[in-house]
Amino acid sequence: MRLIAHHILACHAKGCTSNNFPLKFSDVESQNAEAEFSPDFLKGFYPKIEWNVLITTAKEKFIKFGEVSLPEEQPNLEDLDEETLKKIHHVLLEIDVITGKMSCPNCGHIYPIMSGIPNMLLAEHEIA
Amino acid sequence: MVAEVEDEEHARILAKRCVLIKSVLEFFSSGASYEALHLTNRNKEHLWAPFQKNTTWKFSVTGYNQTIPKYRQRDVVEGFSYMALKGPVDLANPEQEFCCFEEYSSKGKEALRPKYDGDGNFICVYFGRLIAKGQARNLIQKYDVKKRAYYGNTSMDAEMSLLMANQTLSANGKLIYDPFVGTGSMLYTVAEFGAYVIGSDIDGRQMRGKGKEPGVLSSAGQYKVASRILSLLTFDVTNNPWRCGGLFDAIITDPPYGVRAGAKRLGRKPGVPSRDSVAAMRDPDTYIPPTHPYELSMLALDLVILSRYLLKDGGRLVFFLPTVNDEYKEVDIPVVEGMELVANSLENFGAWGRRLITMVKKESITREAPDLRPRECSERYLDHYVPAHRDFREKYFAGFNRNPDVP
Repeated sequence: MRLIAHHILACHAKGCTSNNFPLKFSDVESQNAEAEFSPDFLKGFYPKIEWNVLITTAKEKFIKFGEVSLPEEQPNLEDLDEETLKKIHHVLLEIDVITGKMSCPNCGHIYPIMSGIPNMLLAEHEIA
Repeated sequence: MVAEVEDEEHARILAKRCVLIKSVLEFFSSGASYEALHLTNRNKEHLWAPFQKNTTWKFSVTGYNQTIPKYRQRDVVEGFSYMALKGPVDLANPEQEFCCFEEYSSKGKEALRPKYDGDGNFICVYFGRLIAKGQARNLIQKYDVKKRAYYGNTSMDAEMSLLMANQTLSANGKLIYDPFVGTGSMLYTVAEFGAYVIGSDIDGRQMRGKGKEPGVLSSAGQYKVASRILSLLTFDVTNNPWRCGGLFDAIITDPPYGVRAGAKRLGRKPGVPSRDSVAAMRDPDTYIPPTHPYELSMLALDLVILSRYLLKDGGRLVFFLPTVNDEYKEVDIPVVEGMELVANSLENFGAWGRRLITMVKKESITREAPDLRPRECSERYLDHYVPAHRDFREKYFAGFNRNPDVP
């Protein structure tokens, strides 16, 4: 699972509608993976980015070759330079989580990740 | 097919991308007979005169539904002697290739006729200059399911996966999602054309397979598109964890319709009490959430509603809808405000068929995540309409009331 998935997933257990994003990582093993750099894609995706979450994710300990430092203030779409875009690209598309857990900060549901595939299924008492 | 394009370059692009194109020609003339063809072609001298001198060339004569014997090909080529092509003939590597394409009617359902059957129902002949051979056709071999590292009994055949991928307008920098990904057939072809892809399924076993690496990723590796597969996830689309809508440029899927694989959704059948304590349900290592069947017409409608939420404005939904041919009506295609039908093409299997539906999202308003809880199907179709593909599985196994002995 590339980190972009983490950025667009939220806890969806029944009644869990606030403080359900971002899911909190634990026991993560990750690897660096390849992805083609596409400025067009990143610019299109930019409005969906929660900047604070991205900054926090970029500082996760499991990221190989150290954390990625992004500007504290979210740059305007027009002001994005290639360097920042490449950093966003690296965090969202080139970090591949193989195993670990994601837990909901609100209800505590744990979503396990195995062989790179997060299990987002809900238990029967959690579905609407 | 005769079509107008603005630029020769556009024609080349089509030849690169369209799976069904064998070759693209510059159209010179056509006729119901060779005499008629030559009559027009003589008047189109400005089109072919530039190639009369200093150009190596060859002629080819082919037919649809017909093999044209060598001696007839020679006669046809000689018929064009008035074009006075003075350059040398080069059969291996000509600078220009001129093509005659004869069209024959198919006799009923027989697609191919034996060679010795002589000239059949000749309809007309087209003549032109080759611009580009279809290059996407080779992809059908490349994506042949039999040669794939990982596949299953629900894998979509290569040609159809490629046709579907083209319907999504896949391209570099796009993000495309398959909500019933299964063994990933459509992810590979969509990624082939440049898009990033994400897939999900209620049953993770299909995506994983038995190997150490998930099966879908090993096939993606074989096709050198693994870098475009951003995520595979396990969840039920009716209880999906997407944080917001407007995420995807396209959604492509072959939903399970109950013949080889039945659709499932989370939850117990109404009236069946739970056997597990809440504590047991909290243990993700041992707990397997119960699922129950997901009826096809419901699924189709939910898919369109969900796509409207998850697609960007202008994004496309491409999916297969199986239909009972005798009962099919146009209104069977789910009608959802904001989703417009672009194409509806039938692949006919006799009593039933599957329709490749392409829709485009045409609205810029931001909607709330849709409520896809189980409900009576007719509630959500216009005027309590019951579409013909409702309970498709039952109809399929009953032989559609036509030949009850053959399933």
